Amino acid sequence: MKFKAFVTENGVSLLDRRFLPALDKMGKICHLFLTREHAFFLHNLLTTPDGIQSIAQFRKQALFDDYRISSQNEDRIAFAFDISLLLRAVRSSVSIISSESGGANRLQVKLVKKLPPNSTQPMPFLTFETKGYKSAVIQDVPISKPLSRDQLLQLQAALDAAQDLPRTLVQVPDLNRLQNFVDRMKHVGDLLNVSISKYGDLHLQISTTLITLGAEFRKLLVVGDKAQAPDEDRDLSAQTRSERAILMGDAQSVQVSVRHFSKSLQCHLAKPDCAFYGIAPQGACLTVIFQFFIPGTRQTDKSISLHCRLPVLDPGSS
Amino acid sequence: MSSSAMEADTSDLVCQLDNVQGIVDALSTVRWKRHQDAVVELSEHGIVLIVEETGCLQAKVYLQKELFIRYEYTAQGRPRFGLSLGLFVDCLNTFSVPGHSSTIEIRYPGPDMQLLIKSADSLDDCIYAEIRTRIPETISWDYNFEPAGSTPLSFTVKSAALKEAIDDLEWPGSCIQIILKPVPPSVTFRGEGHGDLQIDFMYYANTDLLIAFHCDHQVSYRYKYKFLRATTSNMPSSVTKDNRGSKLTIGRGGMLKVQHLVSVARPSTSHQHIDSAGYQQPSRIAYIEFFVKPEEDEDTVND
Repeated sequence: MKFKAFVTENGVSLLDRRFLPALDKMGKICHLFLTREHAFFLHNLLTTPDGIQSIAQFRKQALFDDYRISSQNEDRIAFAFDISLLLRAVRSSVSIISSESGGANRLQVKLVKKLPPNSTQPMPFLTFETKGYKSAVIQDVPISKPLSRDQLLQLQAALDAAQDLPRTLVQVPDLNRLQNFVDRMKHVGDLLNVSISKYGDLHLQISTTLITLGAEFRKLLVVGDKAQAPDEDRDLSAQTRSERAILMGDAQSVQVSVRHFSKSLQCHLAKPDCAFYGIAPQGACLTVIFQFFIPGTRQTDKSISLHCRLPVLDPGSS
Repeated sequence: MSSSAMEADTSDLVCQLDNVQGIVDALSTVRWKRHQDAVVELSEHGIVLIVEETGCLQAKVYLQKELFIRYEYTAQGRPRFGLSLGLFVDCLNTFSVPGHSSTIEIRYPGPDMQLLIKSADSLDDCIYAEIRTRIPETISWDYNFEPAGSTPLSFTVKSAALKEAIDDLEWPGSCIQIILKPVPPSVTFRGEGHGDLQIDFMYYANTDLLIAFHCDHQVSYRYKYKFLRATTSNMPSSVTKDNRGSKLTIGRGGMLKVQHLVSVARPSTSHQHIDSAGYQQPSRIAYIEFFVKPEEDEDTVND
């Protein structure tokens, strides 16, 4: 089992300034899954079904060059690690690279087995090596034992299952504003009802015995199944409108944890260009998909993708 | 239901305001603990919110109708209802968007006697809330504040200085004695407990801190520290920043009245448009009053 690559300059900036800070908010422990063509950062795919799943996928060229991988599992390697440790290692490598002048500094990453101090058992590490003219710095990030063949197949199956797209997706107008709103909403209750209609309505609501607090965003961009909103809907309240849309089969509604919803919005740290919410078929989960453009264009950058799946607490009226 | 034509006919009050953060600040001032029941009273003059700690401390927030951009009151009598202050503040807070001035509409009662709130900025986005109200508990009205004599016993101190003084008195704790002396004109806060701490405001020496002072005879009363602290502990940062001054008055029997002014001016959306009229609108002030009962104490000396 071998893995060795150089992290490109673009790769360093993607990880250091955008993805690792965002993924750090999703949870402490993350799986890195490396294949011949892709690198995946995965949260909660193998573990608890009640946590938020996040899937960040990079084509190898987006992060690495001189990418070499080999293993007996069709050249696939996966292991778990503490994301904050990886972030620290990348951060300090960045500071070394930027403090030394000249373009000879490259950040190499490789999988190694080392004997840690005061131990007789060799342990696996992901090693970051920065070589400059004057110095070389090596940082070892401890990782879990690489996943066994069975676990790897399980992870691959979970990953394949997590790729199903909701039939209707609506584009979130302003992530920062929504985040701000949801963070304040957290004080009022724990359970959030989310309903999404083919008309382009996103309706969020917290309802307890003492208070009902909701927000409705209308006329959002719809991707996938869409429908024309009935004219008579115009003067109705947000609640009535979404109830009617659900009855007519034009909307779905699920209940998720406000905490999870707020966490999913933390992905804006990865600086996506737009975000879409949708409800998976049969109300299996609430999916949020972040889209990244090729810098300077409005074209989707297909080498990077990020999406989260929020567990549904109550199947709701789907 | 957040909006329907039918409700317009039956509502006692429909009002709109354009500075949610100002109202959140004003209401937060009287939020001294997590779970607090408040009584709200509506009238043609505005909205009054009252909270109290049984028998010792009462606070009132006056939101005059001038604070609202629209205030339509149609009720007979003065409708009153109870609600949870914390929930009300947290709920209003979700309507406040930093950097935006958001307009909201408040309506009472809803079809089920709820308090209805909704954003009134955009047709395509809408935030709405319905807060369940209660039949109010009877307020003990023995906080009737009466002047102690013909001359009022009062002083006005910069709000930030008052807060700092009361925060400092936490160390001796328990009971705080407030002494007003005409000669030399001064106010003394004195804490005795784990040690002694005395803070003096001398009128002539600290005119920048002690802005006004009226006292014709020496008085001294003791107040429980935790109640005194409640009067300044949640003072919003806008109050200490404006630093207008808080007025403290001692009434008959030593009842202490503490008044703060909270600005509810429309936030200037961009720096180019600070107009002299909009910047410091005198009518855009929410008044906060606290009433603190003195400790029944044998050795309190009053002449």
